[in-house]
This record gives sequence, structure tokens and C-alpha cells, in this order.
Amino acid sequence: MKFDSSTLLRRKKYPMFLLFVVLTTWYVFVDLVDGDWNSLENSLENLSIFFYESLWPPNWKVLEARSYPVCDRNWDILCSPAYIGIVETLKIAFVSTGLGFIISLPLATLASRNLQNDSIAIPFRLLLSGMRTLPSLIWAIFFVILVGLGPVSGVLAMTFYTIGYLGKLQYETIEGLSKDPLDAAKAMGLSNIEIITRVVVPESANNLISQLLFMFEYNVRHGSVIGIVGAGGIGYYISTYLKFLQYDKVMALLIVLFFVVVIIDLLSIKARSYFVEDASLKYPSMIRMILGVK
Amino acid sequence: MSIVVSAVDLKIGYSSSSVLANIDNLQIVKGEIISIIGESGIGKTTLLRNIAKLQEPLAGELLIFGLDARPKRGNVGYIPQKLGLIKHETVYFNVLEGAICHESIFRSVSGFHDQKVIDKVEESIKLMRLSDKIDEPIKYLSGGQQRRVAVARTMAQGAKLILADEFLSELDDKTADTVWNVMHDYVKANQITLIIVEHNIERAKLADRCFKLERGENNFSTLVEVEK
Repeated sequence: MKFDSSTLLRRKKYPMFLLFVVLTTWYVFVDLVDGDWNSLENSLENLSIFFYESLWPPNWKVLEARSYPVCDRNWDILCSPAYIGIVETLKIAFVSTGLGFIISLPLATLASRNLQNDSIAIPFRLLLSGMRTLPSLIWAIFFVILVGLGPVSGVLAMTFYTIGYLGKLQYETIEGLSKDPLDAAKAMGLSNIEIITRVVVPESANNLISQLLFMFEYNVRHGSVIGIVGAGGIGYYISTYLKFLQYDKVMALLIVLFFVVVIIDLLSIKARSYFVEDASLKYPSMIRMILGVK
Repeated sequence: MSIVVSAVDLKIGYSSSSVLANIDNLQIVKGEIISIIGESGIGKTTLLRNIAKLQEPLAGELLIFGLDARPKRGNVGYIPQKLGLIKHETVYFNVLEGAICHESIFRSVSGFHDQKVIDKVEESIKLMRLSDKIDEPIKYLSGGQQRRVAVARTMAQGAKLILADEFLSELDDKTADTVWNVMHDYVKANQITLIIVEHNIERAKLADRCFKLERGENNFSTLVEVEK
């Protein structure tokens, strides 16, 4: 049997696509390096020197009570920069995720093309896209200028970014809903607000909750970054230690942050498993989650 | 006899370049049961969607309850092929979706439902013999039970015109007959007009009138009444 080139391309589309991705990525990378391969040659050696001379061993003084401002809690660790920073990061992430969700859901219903005309949906999609264009770090700089240093600017920055990001996930979920329940409701003569509350939200509830939990995880990770520009959280301490070249303390904080993020991820996977349709994916044990076994 | 659906020189389809069907004249009166048969892709669902005002006709006149506009809230009940139920919500929640047509938007959205609405939901569920499943999520019900929920929803809605799109497909004959009989008895007892798209010709002939959409000139489908 003879195959022409178009048949061959169609049948081997996945390997061909992979090959295309590999070749274009390599080509663009070579273009970026611009012949300066020497900069890569010593990179591992530089990393090794930096790691053993500046980062390792971590300085666990970050878990001891800070001297200023005065803290009158019973346990030292509760007054430590690591604890105070991480708790503030979690609070910022929690409040901004909650606020972002409350604001993004109505915006997402206005941006969904299966619920609204294009004349309404497109401006709201542009609004959400605009909020997403600026990374949370830039929003943080903006709000630090607006309301000053501290967690409030962090909350505002993360809320704005959350609205843009979560709003997009939500309107894509809504647009992916089955047409039949919407058609049945429209034929009945239900109003848009009734269709949203009685069909759209219940039908997409599992996905919306799963996205909310994902966004919380994401905000915890990003909460550490925005602190660098003075928007509160553990990032504030990381940035201070970086300024004073105390890399060993930065390393200790990063290790603490890593464990907190892993714990939040595991709890989030556990919580999200309650909202997965497929019953066989429900309630995975912690061991299975850590090992990545289904 | 009051006319519920009236179509004259109606052209339906997705765009002027892809007309699916051309219907010269169709009059359906109150309390009639109409079945529509025809091969796949010929325009049966498109016709129902036009009658449900989910899609605009390409040309011609299509009046529902004598009006060109969207019918009064709750007057039209549409059961799509996949039923259009909220799968992980309960039977009560789904039937309530129909019953809220009888109350104000404020009440339906706020959840402070009228007692009359709640009574209507419970009565419809009881009529469909689903009282023992009232708090059961739809996804745990059998195909036949799910179809009974869809019928209960239109009952609670108090629809005067019910449009059902192949909603008995995927059921075994015995279950399909049971659901059909329940639906038939309900619409006849309440003088409700039913238009049902059906692939089973024997069952389709149980309707008062049976129409077939068949390929005509210019590749358009036309509606032809089938002799019983």
C-alpha cells in the first residue's frame, strides 16, 4: 500500500508535532544565547561555589524570636521571622483568593459567550485579560505606591491578579458546559440571572471549587514573591536578608516555604479529590498522593 | 381549537447558505400530540429549536401561541436529547428549576420559594413515582428515572407546549414504553400540546399526527404527513 506525504503527516502528527516543538525551541534558544556559550560553561561551578560558600548550611536563626518589634507570645517560634512571614503570606493568599473569587465569578458570567452577546462578553474578556497582563509583582509595586508598604497592598495586588486569572478559568469552564441544560432553561423563559444561579453555577460547581483551591495554592507561592517589593509576607524577610547578603537565612526561609507549599499542595489535592467526578479518583491516601500513584 | 404552532413558508437551518428544511404550512392545535421522524442530520432538532425560540428561522413565519416573540415564561417546556438535567444535583433541585417559572425572579434567585411552588414540585415528583428518589442526585438514577425527572420538570413548569427531542432513545423498549405512556396520559389529561422527535416509527405512529422530514428538491428537507 502506498502513502503520500500528507497521509504520512496526518498519521504521524504527534511525533511530528513533538519534533517541531523540539526543533523550534532549540532554534530560538540558540538565537537567545547569541554565540555566548562560555556563560553556560562555568555555570555549574559557579552554582557549586555559591551554594557551599553562601547558602549552605541554612541559618536556622530565622526560627528564633526576633528582637524587634517586641513579641510577647509564649513560644519563641511564634515570634520568629519565618513563622510571622509565612502566616502573613497564608493570610494574604487566603483573603485575596476569596475576594478574587467573589468578584471574578460575576465577571466570568458576563464574559461567557454562551450566556451573553459578543457586545457584552468581549469588553469583559478584555477587562479580565488586562488584569491578567500585569503579573502580581507589578500590581504589588502599584499598590505599594498607592497604599504603602504592608500586607494590604499585597492583598490588593493578589486580588487583582486573581480576578484576571480565575475569571479566565471560570469563563472557559462556563463556555465548556453542555448546551442541553442551558437550552432547556432558556426555552422555559428563565432570566439570565436565574440561568446563572440555577444552571451554570450548580453545573460547573465542581470545577469552580477545584479552580478556587488551585488558585489558593498559586497565591501562596506568589505571596512569597510580592513581599520582595514590600507587600508583606515571607517575601519581605527574604528581600531584607538578600539586601544584607545573609543568603544562609534566605536558604532557611526557602526551605520553610518549600515545606509549607508542599503541605498546602497535598491538602489541596485531597480537598480537590472530593470534587472530582470520577469516583475512583476520590479520597486518595496521603502516601498515594506523595508517590503520585492513582 | 386554538392554534399553538403555526408555520408558513418557513426556512430553517444555520445560515442562508445551509438551509436544512423548508416547511410550507404547519398548524398544530392545542392538546395535539405530534411526532416527527426522519433520518439523522435532516433538521428535526433544528425544527424543535426553532419552535422553542432557541434559534431564529432563516425566513418565513413561525408563530407560537399566536406570537412571533418569545412565549410567556413557563409556557414552553423543552426536553433535549440528553435531557438537560443538572447531573450532580438532586431530583428536587431539577424539578424545582421548572417550578420557579411560577414565581418572581427575586424569589427564585434568593431561594425563598413560595409554598405553592414547593407543593407543585412535590406533586410532580409524586406523579412521576419518584418520591423515594427526591434527594438522590440525577447521576445515580437509571436512564428511565432520569427521563421521568425531565417530564416532572415540565409538569412542575406547567408547560402548555412540550418539545421532546428523541428523549426516549438509549432506553430499552419496555422502559421507553413506560415513560411514553406516562407522558401520553399526562398531556392528554391536561390538554397539553406535545411535539416529539422519535426514531421508533411504531411509537411515533401512536401520536395524533406523524410527520416525516424527508429530502426534497434542492437538497432541502420538507415536512410530509405520514399516513397511519
